[in-house]
Amino acid sequence: MEELRTGVYVCMCGTNIAKVVDVEAIAEFARTVPGVALAKTYKYMCSNPGQEMIVQDIREHKLNRIVVAACSPNMHERTFRSALRIAGLNQYLLEMANIREQCSWVHADTKGATEKAKALVYAAICRVKFHEELESVSVNMCPNVLIIGGGIAGMTAALELADAGNQVYLVEKNDHLGGNLARVDLTAPYLYSARDLLTERITRVMEHKKIKVFLNSTLRELKGFIGNFTASVSGVNGTGDKTAKPEVVEIGNVIVCTGYKEFDASRVVHYGYGKLPNVITSFELEKMIREGNIRTKEGKIPKYVAIIHCVGSRSQEFHSYCSRVCCMTALKYAHEIKSANPGCYISDIYIDMHAFGKGHEDFYRRSSEAKTLFLMYEKDDRPVIHKAEPKDNCEMLIEVNEKLSGEHIEIPADLVVLMVGMEAREDSHEIARLVNISQDNEGWFIESHPKLEPVATTTDGVFIAGTCVAPKDIPDTVAQARAAAARILARIAKEKIEVDALFSEVNENLCSGCRLCNTLCPFSAIEFDEIKKQSHIISALCKGCGVCVAACPSAAIKGRHFTDLQVLSQLEGLLAV
Amino acid sequence: MATRVNPEFIDDLDRFGAEDVKMCYQCGDCSTVCPHADEIFKFPRKSMRLLQMGLESKIETTLEPWLCYYCGQCSEQCPREADPGETMMSLRRWLISRYDFTGIARLFFRSRIAEIAAIIIIALITGAFLLYYGFTGGNIGIYDGEGAFLPSGFIHRFDLTVGGILLIFLVINAFRMWNFTMLKNTSLKVPWWLYITEIWQFPWHFFTQKRYAECEQKHEHPVYMPWLLHLGLMLGYVTMLVLVMVFVEALQSGPEIIWEVHIFGYLASAGLLAGTIYFIRNRLRKNYIQYKKSHGTDWVFVILLTIIVLTGIAQHVLHRTGVYEWANYLYVIHLMAVVPWLLRMPFCKWSHLLYRPLAMYFAAIRREAVRRQETILNNYPVFVK
Repeated sequence: MEELRTGVYVCMCGTNIAKVVDVEAIAEFARTVPGVALAKTYKYMCSNPGQEMIVQDIREHKLNRIVVAACSPNMHERTFRSALRIAGLNQYLLEMANIREQCSWVHADTKGATEKAKALVYAAICRVKFHEELESVSVNMCPNVLIIGGGIAGMTAALELADAGNQVYLVEKNDHLGGNLARVDLTAPYLYSARDLLTERITRVMEHKKIKVFLNSTLRELKGFIGNFTASVSGVNGTGDKTAKPEVVEIGNVIVCTGYKEFDASRVVHYGYGKLPNVITSFELEKMIREGNIRTKEGKIPKYVAIIHCVGSRSQEFHSYCSRVCCMTALKYAHEIKSANPGCYISDIYIDMHAFGKGHEDFYRRSSEAKTLFLMYEKDDRPVIHKAEPKDNCEMLIEVNEKLSGEHIEIPADLVVLMVGMEAREDSHEIARLVNISQDNEGWFIESHPKLEPVATTTDGVFIAGTCVAPKDIPDTVAQARAAAARILARIAKEKIEVDALFSEVNENLCSGCRLCNTLCPFSAIEFDEIKKQSHIISALCKGCGVCVAACPSAAIKGRHFTDLQVLSQLEGLLAV
Repeated sequence: MATRVNPEFIDDLDRFGAEDVKMCYQCGDCSTVCPHADEIFKFPRKSMRLLQMGLESKIETTLEPWLCYYCGQCSEQCPREADPGETMMSLRRWLISRYDFTGIARLFFRSRIAEIAAIIIIALITGAFLLYYGFTGGNIGIYDGEGAFLPSGFIHRFDLTVGGILLIFLVINAFRMWNFTMLKNTSLKVPWWLYITEIWQFPWHFFTQKRYAECEQKHEHPVYMPWLLHLGLMLGYVTMLVLVMVFVEALQSGPEIIWEVHIFGYLASAGLLAGTIYFIRNRLRKNYIQYKKSHGTDWVFVILLTIIVLTGIAQHVLHRTGVYEWANYLYVIHLMAVVPWLLRMPFCKWSHLLYRPLAMYFAAIRREAVRRQETILNNYPVFVK
């Protein structure tokens, strides 16, 4: 083995680290450790001069191991790895000691913090000694894409990808495209026709040479890993050609845009939905508006229409989240009903008016101008709907504690519209299982980072977009669909995909074929070779979490970059100071 | 018991001038800026809310619209251009029509044509009656004394008749107001003797209009100008009313000037003239927010008042200068304007002369009742609470 020449770099992070930890003392200490060739401090190690200093030192002093004592590796490990690459050193010969988040930010006592930082740095020096040179692997990227769900999100993503010349398979459970948007008349706040938005997309999708649409179909199975999936698609039971055997397609990426379903209004007993004939849901009103005939069950034109917000949303009992589109949709109804029956009076019974989007506040203002009567109720103090007496001259009376006036009031209504919220589809767990993504406790699919990775999932090659992720409006849905398409196009353009070298490997000489690891792997990355009777890890799918390493009874699995030797020497180093 | 919302009420109030109340989203800026709003009387926000919801039975029990003198600060601050000041004005118009049991006020506020037609008819009847009386018993060339066209004794009886009719309406309306705002409002128990201890509030506010002086009319210079002119107009009007009802015989005699009577007439005329010119000018210029929107009835009010003041002064001057025939004709025209003006009073905005100080009196009683209730509660032994 060549002579060990470790370079230790202690960052001050401006004053973030230096004001609590004595960085000079740490550098001083590091120089005394055997195998350390040099130790330096610097104001901002991540800055260009900081990195250049490391590159130059590697070249001049023939360093072969680097320890950077700075912030969390989540923040700057990539930065320093690239510095190593530039200097011609394998990037995995780096170890970071986190003396900011784990030291200076959480301690006030300089002496104690400095001692702790020394321990962390010493542990890193001990560990980096056993680091191995690793190489990333690359796999082929199949340019075909599978899209699940033919709503506005699915169609938008499909067109984006197919227009760039890639084959797209679009799977839709129903016998037509359009999803929930196809049930809507106009859209808020600009009152564009939903039909106009959809017709053009549907025609283009159906006629596109590069898009194959599977109607009345669902995904049956998804095998493989990023760039190399195999999906089988077959007809839904009861519809389509169910005798036909599943069609198998080769794909590189998947976008899930399965949308939402509306909340079942009969669950809120206060509103008498299903019992009172003139209490209807927003989608039932959409149907009336599309037919151009807003009437009560008795066939009369309603004089008083009440719209109740947050049905199923923003309540501890049902869903705690806001469904985001209902407020503006309710205002849209006020406009549509008023323009159909100008003599009609609209009461809009809400908790809070969420008018956050572009043009929304203005739309709210215009609704006031059109004399919509806004009445506010307290979150957990829902209105109650009663049947009215003949002398009341209306069908129903809605009793509510009006929050802005403090008055207990009753509102006359001939027609009550319940703004039902969005909820995850009942079959979403099935999709989640098939494509191996997670769901939150409400059933929405979880993105890999809520802010920075809104359309990616923890499974590489599987993207999510639209209202299957969380309630959102049309612009946000379309933006997500295009974002997912853009992410996939960027990968297709590279033709190959780099896979991080941090994956686990099975030592075939030791594996007994017990298959314990196969079921434990959270990423379905371990397959079983029936001929050899041994397990095999697909490196492209493995995230290096280490579950299999810990579980293997024969110690046959090695986590690359997290070998027993590396981890144990780090622990010994930590406890030695 | 739930109060029934009347969604159509807002349409009705449109006719009374509250067309912007629909824009209100209850931020409360108006109540914050108002120098008169307090813990017990929260306005304009609360009044606007009651109006939007059409809670008529609640609105008719409120005194709040009368506690507002319309300085316009709230309308300037309003972020939604909901014009709270004009809304309070409209509520006053609506309350006037509510206190009036005949329905005439409601008709006048909602239809300018009906109002003008009524004024013209009353004026014509008055004119015809006076001319008939004058030509049958008197001489058009004689203004005063023996054989006068309109003898002062007759005019006195005529005035008292008109005044009596006016008084009947006003007393009934005042009782209705008391019934709505104090008796029907059961939320508070008011001890009867508070009506006696607080009685001074009525004349105090009637003659000083102290609360109007407290309005912060930031754009007017000097700031007390609107208050001063309003006070002048009101005192002029009341003085004239007293002169006409009690001293008309002395007032009409001449041609020499009886200073101890006429000086009051001159001062009152000056007050009326100054006030009228000021209000016409501002309504035409629309320079301050409270003059931006003039309801039809506001114009009828100033035009009629102008005619009365000018013909009153003219007939007086003609009488003193010996042009008796023209003095008599102008006197007839003057009375043709005065009679509809007086008879119109219970049905128009001018009735706030009575309602506002009454409201101040009732409000003081309610405030005192609330204060007493709180003191009693606070002083009760703990086990009783």
